Amino acid sequence: MTIATGGANAPAEVGRLRKRPSLIRRIIANRNDYLYVLPALLVMLVVIAFPIYYTIELSFYSTPSNLQMRDKVWAGLDNYTRVLTSSVFHEVTIQTLIWTLASTFFAFILGLGAALALHREFIGRGLMRGLLLIPYVISAVAASYVWKWLYHSDFGVIGALAVQLGITDEPINFLDNRRTVLASLIVVNVWKEFSFAMVMLMAGLQTVPEQLLRAAQVDGASPWQRFWHVTFPHLKGVSMVTVLLLMVANFNSFIIPFVMTGGGPADASHIWITHIYQLAFGRQQWGVASAYAVILFIVMMVLGYFYVKALTRGDDARAGE
Amino acid sequence: MSTIELPSGAKRPVVKKSVDWWRWAGRATLTFLFLFTMLPMAWMILTSVKSQFAAMQYPPQWWPTQPTLNNYFKLLDPGSKIGRDFLLYFWNSFYVSLLTTILGVVVAVPAAYAFSRFRFPGRNFLFFAVLVRNMFPAVVFLMPLFLLMRWMGLINTHGSLILTYLTFGLPLSIWLLKGFYDNIPIQLEQAARIDGATRFQAFLLIVMPLSTPGIIATSIFSFIGAWNEYVYAYTFLSRDSQMTLPVGIQRFFTEFATDWPGLMSATFLMSVPVVVLFLVLQKYFVRALTEGAVKH
Repeated sequence: MTIATGGANAPAEVGRLRKRPSLIRRIIANRNDYLYVLPALLVMLVVIAFPIYYTIELSFYSTPSNLQMRDKVWAGLDNYTRVLTSSVFHEVTIQTLIWTLASTFFAFILGLGAALALHREFIGRGLMRGLLLIPYVISAVAASYVWKWLYHSDFGVIGALAVQLGITDEPINFLDNRRTVLASLIVVNVWKEFSFAMVMLMAGLQTVPEQLLRAAQVDGASPWQRFWHVTFPHLKGVSMVTVLLLMVANFNSFIIPFVMTGGGPADASHIWITHIYQLAFGRQQWGVASAYAVILFIVMMVLGYFYVKALTRGDDARAGE
Repeated sequence: MSTIELPSGAKRPVVKKSVDWWRWAGRATLTFLFLFTMLPMAWMILTSVKSQFAAMQYPPQWWPTQPTLNNYFKLLDPGSKIGRDFLLYFWNSFYVSLLTTILGVVVAVPAAYAFSRFRFPGRNFLFFAVLVRNMFPAVVFLMPLFLLMRWMGLINTHGSLILTYLTFGLPLSIWLLKGFYDNIPIQLEQAARIDGATRFQAFLLIVMPLSTPGIIATSIFSFIGAWNEYVYAYTFLSRDSQMTLPVGIQRFFTEFATDWPGLMSATFLMSVPVVVLFLVLQKYFVRALTEGAVKH
């Protein structure tokens, strides 16, 4: 995965590698190098490694609601069985899947359309890319408030527009209706993140060799054929990475459902993350919430495995060129 | 390939027809996405210049009949209660984001340099740190970090936010900077070393200036990230005087019946710094965005 780029101490490195000294000896030999990374490693250990360990530990305990963790009681796998057998878990899992898959799908499709349309040179192209990226840049809290206002049940502009155009008789109550709430939030999420897919795919499009496209054109390939047989195969790697990153981001999103509906009405817009938050900070059930978090870790690990695979496959392809 | 030398004149009419159709599809897509992106923001701005009475009408005033900047004056007036709070939150956000960014660069630069140039055991750790950061949601870290911050006495201080933002920004910052250092030829440093510079001098005088674009890219990335962060600020801070903007505006607009025009103008003001920063440095931001995800 890491190919030596020829550091200043590369010759010495070759000699050392030949003898294959023990790990400890190599660490000692390189001790000065660690000084450069020490500050970064320290904070990362404290703020990333410790929490992961502690979450796993807490998931096996029943925790007191006053959060004095000295008084926690060993609970074995109780938290896990509680999570996996609760009816809320199933409901929230289905909602999380819908939320993740639908958001990813639409963000990717819109991003792909935008990337293809922006690939051609025209005046104002950079500006257009910039404008489309604004929703991605602004805070999700700002986006949530803006859309909450657009969806407002009495004075919301979307409801009023639907009535004016004769689509509905009454303004729809998007966010207070179990049937519409999740879809309404997915629209906001897609609005916020499709331009991420766009930027990634634009970068991917630049790797498509111009000569190949031109050769295909000369051979009489239609635009669609050129896209499907030349452009798309070159986009496969970056598409995979983009889809995985979108999925991870959507799985992990919190602000839009939390700020816009708080998971309601009647849990209809809860996804895993908001549910974990509610369990931990609303009901003080940290043990159960930790068990949830560990299950989430495992799901993320699976996604992470594919992410690494997608990334390293790109490396192999590049190395083989 | 000999494609370039081929006279294209003969084939052009056939190709052109289909290209046009394709181009129109592109235009239609862009128009749709442009409207989808901009209309919500346009409505935010239109609402922000209405009075509360004008905003709460059905059917809505599509165009404000009596536009007013009162909402903005109220928010930016240090004399009023709302204005004082808003400006304080604004300052808190700015101060936390700036400190996070500066500290982030200070810690990330040497680490990225080491990861790029040295071959010590454990270098792959960085890759996994980036992964972990990309993979795991803030909420999962929230519970143990809350306890940790309580233990360190950092709850209700900006220190808890800066430490958290700094750390979660680090893997990506190091990753991005490492990409830049990898592209700086090692021979430049070697030449300086031969001329008598120490390793540190070579780093400071040769490598640092060449990696400025990388530093700008990581800086705007961490600034925007810190400016927009909500979950940790919401959990770690409970005193009104310390709120950052994303948490702060929520606080004081739900106390009363929601003042939507006021909320929209606050949202607008909150977005201005990041949007301006982004539009000015778009090139760097886009580079950071794509390089953070695609490994070289």
